[in-house]
Amino acid sequence: MKKSIKRIISAACAAMMLLAVPGCGQTGGEVSKEFTPRYSTETEYKLTIAGTYSNFESLESAFERFYAYYPNGEIQYVYLDDYRNTIIPALAGQEPPDIYVVQPWMYGDDQFAPLFDGAEVLSDPELDINLDCIRSGVRWEMDNGEILALPVFATSYGMLVNMDIFEKENLEVPENFDELVDTCEKLKAAGYESPVMGANTTTTPGIGYTFAYPMFAKTVKDDRSVEDGLNNLDPAAGEAMRDSLTRLKEFIDAGCIDVEKCSAEIEDDYNSVIMRFFEGDVPMMLCSGDVVSGTKKRESTSEAFSANPFRYDFYVAPSGDESGYYMDSVSILFSVNKNSENLDMTNEFIRFLTSEDQLGLMAQEKRLINPTDDYSIDEIYSSLSGFSEDCTVNFRDTELLDTTVKQFRAAAFAVVNGEMTVDEAVAGYGTIPTD
Amino acid sequence: MKKRNIIIINILIVGLILFVIVKYANDRAHESNEASIAAFEKMTTTTEQIIANYLEDEQHLCDIWANYINRSAEAGEPMTVDEAISYIRKAKISPEISGHLIYTDDGSLDGISTSASATDPSDYSVDYSHIKIFDDLENGIAEGRVNLTRAYTNPLNGVQSIAFLNNVKVLDSETGDLRDGLVIRVVPVSRLEQKLVFLKGEYENVEISLIDWDGDYMIHGKSLKNSNFFEYFKSYNPMSPQEYNDVVNAIRTGIGSMHIRNSKKEDSVIAYTPLSGLDSWYLIAYIPATELTDSRSIDWLLLGIASVGLFILLHFNMCILRGYNRKLSIAAEAANQANEAKSLFLSTMSHDIRTPMNAIIGMNEMILRDSREEETLMYADSIRTAGDTLLGIINDILDFSKIEAGKMEIIPVDYGFVSLLNDLVNMVQRRAEEKGLSFELDVDRNIPSMLSGDEIRIKQVITNILSNAVKYTKEGGIVFSISCSKCEEDGDSVILHVSVKDTGIGIKKEDLDKLFVAFERIEEKKNRNIEGTGLGMAIAQSFLNMMDSKLCVESEYGKGSVFSFDLKQKVVNPEPMGEFDAAFKRYLSDRKQYKAKFVAPEARVLVVDDTEVNLKVFVNLLSRTKMQIETADSGDAAIALFKRNFYDVIFLDHMMPDKDGIETIKEMKACADTPNKETPVICLTANAVSGMREMYIEAGFNDYLTKPIDTGRLEKMLLKYLPHNIVETVTEDKETESLGKRQSILVINEDVNMLRRLKEWLSDSYDVTVVKSKEQAASYLKNHETDLIIAGDETALTDGTDESKIIRINTGEIDQSGAVSLAKEYFKGKH
Repeated sequence: MKKSIKRIISAACAAMMLLAVPGCGQTGGEVSKEFTPRYSTETEYKLTIAGTYSNFESLESAFERFYAYYPNGEIQYVYLDDYRNTIIPALAGQEPPDIYVVQPWMYGDDQFAPLFDGAEVLSDPELDINLDCIRSGVRWEMDNGEILALPVFATSYGMLVNMDIFEKENLEVPENFDELVDTCEKLKAAGYESPVMGANTTTTPGIGYTFAYPMFAKTVKDDRSVEDGLNNLDPAAGEAMRDSLTRLKEFIDAGCIDVEKCSAEIEDDYNSVIMRFFEGDVPMMLCSGDVVSGTKKRESTSEAFSANPFRYDFYVAPSGDESGYYMDSVSILFSVNKNSENLDMTNEFIRFLTSEDQLGLMAQEKRLINPTDDYSIDEIYSSLSGFSEDCTVNFRDTELLDTTVKQFRAAAFAVVNGEMTVDEAVAGYGTIPTD
Repeated sequence: MKKRNIIIINILIVGLILFVIVKYANDRAHESNEASIAAFEKMTTTTEQIIANYLEDEQHLCDIWANYINRSAEAGEPMTVDEAISYIRKAKISPEISGHLIYTDDGSLDGISTSASATDPSDYSVDYSHIKIFDDLENGIAEGRVNLTRAYTNPLNGVQSIAFLNNVKVLDSETGDLRDGLVIRVVPVSRLEQKLVFLKGEYENVEISLIDWDGDYMIHGKSLKNSNFFEYFKSYNPMSPQEYNDVVNAIRTGIGSMHIRNSKKEDSVIAYTPLSGLDSWYLIAYIPATELTDSRSIDWLLLGIASVGLFILLHFNMCILRGYNRKLSIAAEAANQANEAKSLFLSTMSHDIRTPMNAIIGMNEMILRDSREEETLMYADSIRTAGDTLLGIINDILDFSKIEAGKMEIIPVDYGFVSLLNDLVNMVQRRAEEKGLSFELDVDRNIPSMLSGDEIRIKQVITNILSNAVKYTKEGGIVFSISCSKCEEDGDSVILHVSVKDTGIGIKKEDLDKLFVAFERIEEKKNRNIEGTGLGMAIAQSFLNMMDSKLCVESEYGKGSVFSFDLKQKVVNPEPMGEFDAAFKRYLSDRKQYKAKFVAPEARVLVVDDTEVNLKVFVNLLSRTKMQIETADSGDAAIALFKRNFYDVIFLDHMMPDKDGIETIKEMKACADTPNKETPVICLTANAVSGMREMYIEAGFNDYLTKPIDTGRLEKMLLKYLPHNIVETVTEDKETESLGKRQSILVINEDVNMLRRLKEWLSDSYDVTVVKSKEQAASYLKNHETDLIIAGDETALTDGTDESKIIRINTGEIDQSGAVSLAKEYFKGKH
């Protein structure tokens, strides 16, 4: 009798445990349907990923999903102070990271050459990493066809749009410059003092860069012959900036944006931009994708937004005559340290991560643009889905150096603030102060 | 109780037990959890001590470096940066640890290191200008405490490190100036983490984190996400800003623990404590709550087993109960059938015995009325006595049946106490006299004349007691005492104290308990010749219980018994009844109006009975009323007469073949064409079991009369239902005259048969009392007056007896006519 009871209880417990196993698997998050562990799931490992984000929770969530397959290990994300100066010593030091962040601007700079020299070739068929899931525009193939880095997040430049205001004022989100001017006039008439706002800085999320740089990049994409001159800071090459700076000047002159108001009310190019937008009275807020990534967490910290929440989406700034220009840029990429002590498991983690599901989940949590073809994961970026290829500038369409970009940012800032005319900015290319 | 209620109660009990088990398990689990958490907190503080000691040690080593360098400066021989680094290089033992010395006075934060750059073995320069770790040292660097930075990236090798700081004075070899510098003891974070490995043995999944004032981690385990603990906490533990601030303050200001949700929304526990000796550093120990509360699962297992056990027990009990219920149902069904059989038997017995009894008693009554033959009258009188006894037995059985069925009711009515007493005395005195027993009456003259109570049942109780006393007493006599006292609780009532004392056979002590058991007869063999069912005392006791009283017995075996009871009765007329004799006479004069004897020549009565002899009895009993009585021997015949002729009253028998009384009356009531629409119909029934009255009234009868028919009750019923204008009652004057002429005779003789005969012969013309001995005679004469005393030749009389009233006779020779003539002659001589 006792044995029978024990058997019954044991059987019940076993059944419950069997039922619980898949349940446990689910608690860590959604598991990729396609991923099949290559190694024993009992494998012990410890991996370190070094990066530029002081906080990388979306990656840490991916760790949890990976632990569902390989529970006996630990992956640690480490923020490196002064990344551009410490990542190289770190790779050469006693505790080298197994995976590290690279960014497109690092390529070609001798200082960062070890990052690419020491990177595992992810396109090696042996590794079985599904790089085809990456959108072609952000897939970064070296000249020899090798892929050394996995795009984790894409980004762009444009504007956050308060959809409730447009709905309330019965307006459509403008798709070209004329519509933008027209919409801004209507919004001003409706009482919106500065229909467009943004951070008045020289940084990438600043007004000038976000509004005019995509147009400038399109100019370069269409005529790559100017690229060398621009990279060499040839003043003559400054002519390539004329159209985009002129359009920027028209934008300012049309009264679409009150620059002084922006300077007064938006103190920095990130937190202030978001918090000001959440006040709810700004129809359009110029910003970068990185700024958008900070919106989700700040919704709850904004008293105004908590009290009066509204729907908002990200749109390309309508700077062109026909439409805006979509900069399909890469935000960060992961490279694998080919000297990693845990190279197999490091590659296994990258193999796990390289899927529409995992990259989509990370992008959704980080609220950056998904590097795969699927824009539907985060509704806020849905406007980018199916954007015209003609008006899209992929990050590999141009090879402008960081110095060139800085010259444009400085020129745009000067034009926005009336410190230079367009002619002066064009003529001063290569010598415009950037600090 | 209904099955559903039993199941509900069982489930409630099971639920209650489970609730107690759950509560107990929870309480124990709660205690266990609290103990586990307390132990976890203790582990946390122990760990904090270890870490704090380690950090202090590291700071101490840093301080030694600084002191050595500074003492040189204080001695006037400051060390250059190279000399200082060279010293540190020699002083430090571990190759993992490096020393940095940077200038702070010019804000350049550059200097040199004991170790070369990881990328250039010849480069020892170090630059902290891009690494913001000194901003946190708001209070500057102070002696005697741990001056610790946050975790940062060692610019020379990219290793996550912590730094211990102290100020130094060094000589600028280029300028020769004494400059302010900072000596930095750089320790990899991994080295600190190694110190915590020992904890894994105690707690499998514990994770130790160190956070600064802002919540930024120095080190953290894999479960704590984000770069900042407070942000992590906020992300997964939604709460109001006030609650959040309370949590932050709690961690910053004290030692304790709390439950939190981790990134998977799982319950976890953190214990926290500040690092002693450091400013604004805190230790957070994290562990999944399940690891601390594992013991609880054992309780749930026990609970599960207990639950299953209880439900199996419940199911088992329900099965057993169902089995019992089935058996009980069968038994109940059998009992019901037996009960129905008993009812049928009682009904049948009542009917089948009463029907012939009706003929026997009725015809016997005719004989007693009409016969003048001495022997015939004697035989008829015996028949009447036997009939009354048999009827009493039947009535006892029926009463007991009613009591058992719970259908016996106590119906209070106003009654004259003298009347009650008279009936009792009349009934018992004669029987006692017949047995030659003395009958002594001791009645309290202060008993109120009119009381309220169930006269019939009281009479029945006392009759049973007195009858028993007479039955079981061979010699001696019976003393019947009644007194009353005021009721203390109720001023409108009195307590009657009734007592019957006899000199009978008495009852053994061991038999006293059997006295009130139905059908139980004490000393059955010895008393075989004494008639009775064994129900009398049981019925008496039941009636007294129903009247909130109790029959008490005191008895001495062989010497006699005393039966007594107290009975509370409402007082209707408080006037004392006075002496019983006088009161009795008064009662007789009062009752004349009720003792109606009438003639009604115009009255038309129909009587229906299938038994011819019963019809004859009925007709003969009423022959002197001169009513026009028609008879019918079946329901159909009765209906035919009912349709044709008018009747003032119809008597209809119940139990008849073919069409019984109920079917007949229904047909009568349905009949429209009849002159008898308003004629009362009275049921004649030999079925006197409980519940009959209701049945007859419901069937449409106006009243019912049980067989054997009692002439008095029959006449009374006729007086009630006959139209008054056709009834001629006997006048009061005649009655009074008749009553006044009646003389009383006391007969004294030892021969009981002779006494019975004399009583029968003389009773038609005189009030006759018979006694067996001179003592009984003396006792009687003490309370009564008599006009004539007839005594045997040799019968002794007590002194003082009025000789003028005595006639001596030879009892062996005298016959009825002689006795009657003797009396007539005597009274004739008196007048």
